[in-house]
Amino acid sequence: MNELILFFRKNSKWFVFGFFVVLSCTMLFNSNPYHQHLYLTSAGRAVSSVYKSGSMLSSYLNLRSINEDLNRRNAELQAEIAAQNELISTFRELGYTDTLVADSGVRHFDFIVAHVINNSIARPFNYITINKGSKAGVRPELGVIDQNGVVGIVSNVGSGSARVISLLNPNFRLSCKIKRSDYFGSLVWDGKDPREALLEELPRHTVFNPGDTIVTSGYSAVFPEGLPVGVIMPDNNEHNENFFTLRVRLLADFTTLGNVQVVVNNYRAELDSLSAGEAEEAKRKPFGN
Amino acid sequence: MNQFAIRFTIAYLLLIPLQALVFDHMVLFNVAVPFVFIYLIVMLPVTLGTNVSVVLGFLAGLGMDMFADTPGMNSLSCTILAFARKPLFHLYTTMDDDLAGRSPSAQTMGSASFLKYVLTLSLCYSVLVFTIEAFQLFIPELLLTRIVASTLYTFLLIYTLDSLLIRRREKRL
Repeated sequence: MNELILFFRKNSKWFVFGFFVVLSCTMLFNSNPYHQHLYLTSAGRAVSSVYKSGSMLSSYLNLRSINEDLNRRNAELQAEIAAQNELISTFRELGYTDTLVADSGVRHFDFIVAHVINNSIARPFNYITINKGSKAGVRPELGVIDQNGVVGIVSNVGSGSARVISLLNPNFRLSCKIKRSDYFGSLVWDGKDPREALLEELPRHTVFNPGDTIVTSGYSAVFPEGLPVGVIMPDNNEHNENFFTLRVRLLADFTTLGNVQVVVNNYRAELDSLSAGEAEEAKRKPFGN
Repeated sequence: MNQFAIRFTIAYLLLIPLQALVFDHMVLFNVAVPFVFIYLIVMLPVTLGTNVSVVLGFLAGLGMDMFADTPGMNSLSCTILAFARKPLFHLYTTMDDDLAGRSPSAQTMGSASFLKYVLTLSLCYSVLVFTIEAFQLFIPELLLTRIVASTLYTFLLIYTLDSLLIRRREKRL
């Protein structure tokens, strides 16, 4: 017995070392971002408060470019409103208002405005921390966008902060299509350049041109249909027998993320109950690619 | 010993948030990452027991992982680095007794051996971190560039940090 204790004491450093290596490896290989404990992520209270105070100091630095983006987006939306108004008045004139079914009254999507307090682009698996949490209505698996395009999807939620899986994270596959066509593929980051991503699994007979816009397909309940994601870059003829792989320049500038919006789908519960039968399938591919 | 505990706690509370808020945003050309927080492992006195070093190393890595959302990556690298620290230290100098309870620095070890010591630790850490990263996502053409660039960048910043601390100490004396 004494010898055993002596043995342990003599080699204690190996046991301590082994213990911590195993502990680290457990964390390392539990790669599912939804299964991580809140306090081991940047959405934990202590960590997010450090990031919040840091962002209070630095949030002024790129206000100019954010302002320009907002102005541009504002102009686009105004143009869209004008077009919609025109359409509505056309319908009115045609006398369709009496026969059209009234809308159910619940808006399809709500948006929660949040501020990015931490963001990384240089790692192979990037995450973003935002300053809104469960108190503001943020829940896991909600989409996050900014004024330019899709940013990511919420994974862990604290009371006053949440962690977002960035689009620059190979865990995140986004179902996308080419604007004004219904050819769809799945967008995934290849870890090389924070300004570019790959649109994979696009059918071989797809017609496209460099410069075409890539938008969300709306096939999952996370993002509304038609949100801009990126633009097809020239010179990308990678393909195998059945599928194209296109290189896409992302519209959201991940190096200067400021204000973002969390997309809340008000029909989520309804859609989820519809697809409950496919729960097993959905678990393996949570973003519906 | 007690004094070291206080110094380590202060360094921990300063360096980990600094790494997250400042140094992680100082990545050069998307390849060179400055891992300044491994100064926490550099500063461990050589007479400190391996068990304690490994625990402190793991805590440093865990703190960094929480901030950077890289579960396990920094913890594992820091644990291994803290374990290998003493043999690495003895590659360059054998004067344990002069350094009892004191942190290795250019002042206590002499510039030449301290530089070699920091360079070795930076290299080991970069190799560890980027190899672990490569298990998750392997981009061969980037791996070597990242290791070399980050080693040099980390080395430079830690040496700067150390010289800043020395000057302040001298002024106080």
